Amino acid sequence: MASTSNSQSSIQDDDDQEEEIEHFDDFTLASSWERFISEIEAVCRQWLATGPKNLVKKDAVCLDFSKNIYKVRSELKYAMKNYSMEYYFEPFNDGKVADWISTSHDLQQSFGVKDFLVIAPQSASGVVLDAPEASKLLSAVSIAMSNSSSLWPAFVPVHDPSRRAYIGIQNMGTIFTRRFEADRIGSQVPIKLMHLEGLYELFVSKFAYSTVDLSMHLFKVHFRMKLTYRTLPTDDDPEVQQESEFLESGGHSEFETHNKIQWDDDCPWSEWYSAEDPVKGLELLAIWSERTVDSSLDMAELENASPLEADKWFIFPNLSPHLESSDGSTIGFASQLRLLVNALDSSLGAQFMEDFVSAVENSGSDNMKSSAVIPPPTVLDRVLKDLFHEDAEVKLDFADAENKNSRAIKGAPLESLFAQFCLHALWFGNCNIRAIAVLWIEFVREIRWCWEESQPLPRMPTNGTVDLSTCLIYQKLHMLAICIEKKHQENKEHPDVGDKKTSPYIEGKAQITKQSSSLLEVTEDSSGERDSLTARNDLGSHGVATSLSNSEQQNFASPTDTKLSEYIRMGSAGVVGSTMLLNSCQQMHAPFTQDPPLMTEDMHEERLKAVEAFGDSFSFSAQLEKEILSSDMSAFKAANPDAVFEDFIRWHSPRDWENDDNGELAVSQAKAGEVSKNEWPPRGRLSERMSDHGSSWRKIWNEAPSLPAFKQKPLLDPNREGEKVLHYLETMRPHQLLEQMVCTAFRAAADTLNRTAFGGLKLMTSKLGQLCLTMASTLKSLQRNSLSVDSEIIEDLTRLCVIFEHVEKLLTVAASLHRKFLQAPRLSEAIFSDFYNFYLPKMGTGSGSHDIDKSQEFTKKQQIMAREKEVVASMFTPPTANQSWRKVLSLGNLLNGHEPILREIIFSKRDHVSGGYYAGSYAGGYPQEIETYRMYLCGTSNDLRVALAVASCD
Amino acid sequence: MESSSSASAAQEFDYLFKLLLIGDSGVGKSSLLLSFTSNTFEDLSPTIGVDFKVKYVTLGGKKLKLAIWDTAGQERFRTLTSSYYRGAQGIIMVYDVTRRETFTNLSDIWAKEIDLYSTNQDCIKMLVGNKVDKESERVVSKKEGINFAREYGCLFIECSAKTRTNVEQCFEELVLKILETPSLLAEGSAGVKKNIFKQKPPETDASTSGCC
Repeated sequence: MASTSNSQSSIQDDDDQEEEIEHFDDFTLASSWERFISEIEAVCRQWLATGPKNLVKKDAVCLDFSKNIYKVRSELKYAMKNYSMEYYFEPFNDGKVADWISTSHDLQQSFGVKDFLVIAPQSASGVVLDAPEASKLLSAVSIAMSNSSSLWPAFVPVHDPSRRAYIGIQNMGTIFTRRFEADRIGSQVPIKLMHLEGLYELFVSKFAYSTVDLSMHLFKVHFRMKLTYRTLPTDDDPEVQQESEFLESGGHSEFETHNKIQWDDDCPWSEWYSAEDPVKGLELLAIWSERTVDSSLDMAELENASPLEADKWFIFPNLSPHLESSDGSTIGFASQLRLLVNALDSSLGAQFMEDFVSAVENSGSDNMKSSAVIPPPTVLDRVLKDLFHEDAEVKLDFADAENKNSRAIKGAPLESLFAQFCLHALWFGNCNIRAIAVLWIEFVREIRWCWEESQPLPRMPTNGTVDLSTCLIYQKLHMLAICIEKKHQENKEHPDVGDKKTSPYIEGKAQITKQSSSLLEVTEDSSGERDSLTARNDLGSHGVATSLSNSEQQNFASPTDTKLSEYIRMGSAGVVGSTMLLNSCQQMHAPFTQDPPLMTEDMHEERLKAVEAFGDSFSFSAQLEKEILSSDMSAFKAANPDAVFEDFIRWHSPRDWENDDNGELAVSQAKAGEVSKNEWPPRGRLSERMSDHGSSWRKIWNEAPSLPAFKQKPLLDPNREGEKVLHYLETMRPHQLLEQMVCTAFRAAADTLNRTAFGGLKLMTSKLGQLCLTMASTLKSLQRNSLSVDSEIIEDLTRLCVIFEHVEKLLTVAASLHRKFLQAPRLSEAIFSDFYNFYLPKMGTGSGSHDIDKSQEFTKKQQIMAREKEVVASMFTPPTANQSWRKVLSLGNLLNGHEPILREIIFSKRDHVSGGYYAGSYAGGYPQEIETYRMYLCGTSNDLRVALAVASCD
Repeated sequence: MESSSSASAAQEFDYLFKLLLIGDSGVGKSSLLLSFTSNTFEDLSPTIGVDFKVKYVTLGGKKLKLAIWDTAGQERFRTLTSSYYRGAQGIIMVYDVTRRETFTNLSDIWAKEIDLYSTNQDCIKMLVGNKVDKESERVVSKKEGINFAREYGCLFIECSAKTRTNVEQCFEELVLKILETPSLLAEGSAGVKKNIFKQKPPETDASTSGCC
């Protein structure tokens, strides 16, 4: 310990005996200052020995604004005062001093240093106020540094904290010492110092002896500059205004007279809410890399240069602070879904939806009343109008609008009536259970009206089969829509049957006769399409068509063989190839058949339960299917009055007819038809299993009357089924409703977000896909209708809301970036991916890991390529008179009329040590160039910070 | 596979699984089911629409209730059978080894039906070649069956409902596979027995799907 050696040597004589005891340092005689120095030295040695990488592992803390800079801290005491010494270092940066792109510490930028020490008194201001104290402190450190042969620069804060003034010193090997000084002008920057020339002269004045002949001398000064530009905010404060309006309108989403154009007006969510633009603005860094400046004239020229001439451009977005907070303050689907989940929670005990409404009059529980606001009737009217009376041209092609994965969520398809109801409910009032109850009751009332008046249900398909992958309410509404359609047709009786009705019929017929194969094969051929059901369904709907036009139908039915039809043929859809009946030399006709009855999920479940109640008795066969079979047989009989059971089997189940000619089953119908033309009657027999006389098939055949489909009792009774649907809707348990609403609302919200244009950013697409999967698996526990919801599920759902919120935020960022960088998609993708990686760890698992350093800001910058410069520059739209009137432009280098918000300049002067001023005083001759003067200037139009570093030999 | 008499209703069971038999008309679906549930073989009359049987078995130490739905192969019933795919943990695709078209129809028709109607992503599929007792009339080789099964990622077995060869194994293998699949297991137990088998709802899926 070199510092102590002085004191030690002075007392060495006295301590001769004690020499035996090794490393015994006696400080009793040393001055307190000396002790202070040795203390500093000890700490420094310790830090040096540990090494930065180990310090990181031990007790170093990472600085908030940068992941790369760490600091360790130690406390010292000197003359009744406490000091703290901090060592800042970059453990993972072995290279040079930080560039201008990555964030670095103030002092690093000011003085161009990497690792450094700061010593400050532990006072309220943390600043050394008096000059002697500062220089004493600094020399103490300096001695300690040279003793421990450490090359760290050390800084001491001086003056008032607002000036951010420092003095500092650094040993540079044995000969040179660098001295540092920084100060700031907080206001009233002299005009001279606002311009580059003035700043240049300031720098030169530090080493030129006479200021008079400044212009005469040619100093080789190196110059670098970084300008920061920021786009102007578009509005003064749009959010505040909006939110107040939001509250006034009773929480409804439609702001009546909102003249202002929101950034997200064409985003799919804007129908429901307006999101705050997460990208508040853009910051552009224009960097002039190092160049040599000879005179102040050069500087004047530079000041007039356009930023487009800068060597490098970097950009980063200013993000809204709300993005960081996950306290649910942001209004969006996620916040409303959370409310809906709460509503589900509070619905659990209740019997009927009406209970929640009547609670209004009872004014029972106070706590419920305070939060559960029911919007005024006008709002209710508007919602219902939107649901039921909006233009009917809403497309019902649900399939393509949705994420493929969302089919796995048991909800209603987006845009469908119930999905729309759920989305409205989210924004109705504050989505409390009472508001939902009011809305639901009115909703059902409106549906009841449609049913009674045979008005088509809006936003619902009136055909197809019930999709069991949707939620039960949607299935029921689909069923109801079909029932209404059927009832409507029935009521119409047979008014103007004529042309319109027969045309599809002819088409259908042509299609059938065209093909010389059985009906079955016709449909099987088309099974390459979405499903083979369609052919059947088409057939069925023709059956309906026929039923309406039965008077003409007979004329149409048998144009080919009128001469043969002595019997009344009814309900024929055309001949089946050239297949002949067995017992009469007539062509076989395929009958129109009834649509298979529709069943919703609960009806299937009922059947299952009935079957289970019966036990699996051997002879069980579904009653419903028997009815269908019987109906088919009746229709077949009507279409082929001479047919026998075998004929029916040949049409309906061709594999159960064994043809004699080839000894095989009649697989090739075309061939069979050929044969039958030549030899009649065709020879063959029923398959063994079908020919059994106890066969239930034959029994049904024998019992089936000859009736065309249109005269049969319908398999689906629209009056009965429709009424059942309404009964279901009117008596639903609140929790059943809320469960389905939660599923549908999640699905519809995700699907809505999914429609957002965000330039197909891959990360976003996959995140949305993941969200769907997560939702599907979480919501699964809600989809079993009978189950009661427990608190565990509510917790899961709350967690899901958090996940949803994160994805929603990411999406608004993606959408905002996308529309800002339409012309430079590479940038939007790069910036988004930076943000994504920055945001991802903050998302956590949704379980409340809030302790992850929230304070970090997103500062990653993206370099702009040359060809993108124009696009970016055009985003800095010239400020309007309104925006610029209060500003007096004082700095140069305007970008479309924007003056830089920050100008940073580094001047430096380098000298060959051997040839410079110091050659005389120094004999050795260092070959390398060292930076003798360095000045960092950082300023806006009304403040200026100057930091000077001077290396000298003393 | 220990089977207990199916007559006694409302037995105790740990899991309820729904299985579905599909395939062309006349490939022997009903016979296969009958052979499995009551150890007999009969030439049955063609199924009308759908048939349904329950069998209680004990497998891997678990008491299982199997609800097996047997569908009709006829075209006309196909629209209705679509609904039986829902919620099935296992789907058995049956073909007749003596009739090639019953085999080709599996890929042309039935596999597509599964894609369309099955709501259960993880549901186990099994390919069964029936009527191996008619070895002399065989037209679909075992190798073809194996290749098909590999392509569609399903289990494969050949059996005979008539001689009861491999019938038990067929169902057993399928059920064992379902027992190995956690999400299916959760579904099977979630019904009546929820409070007894307090299983984490399929949240594990959420975390493995890599997510947020």
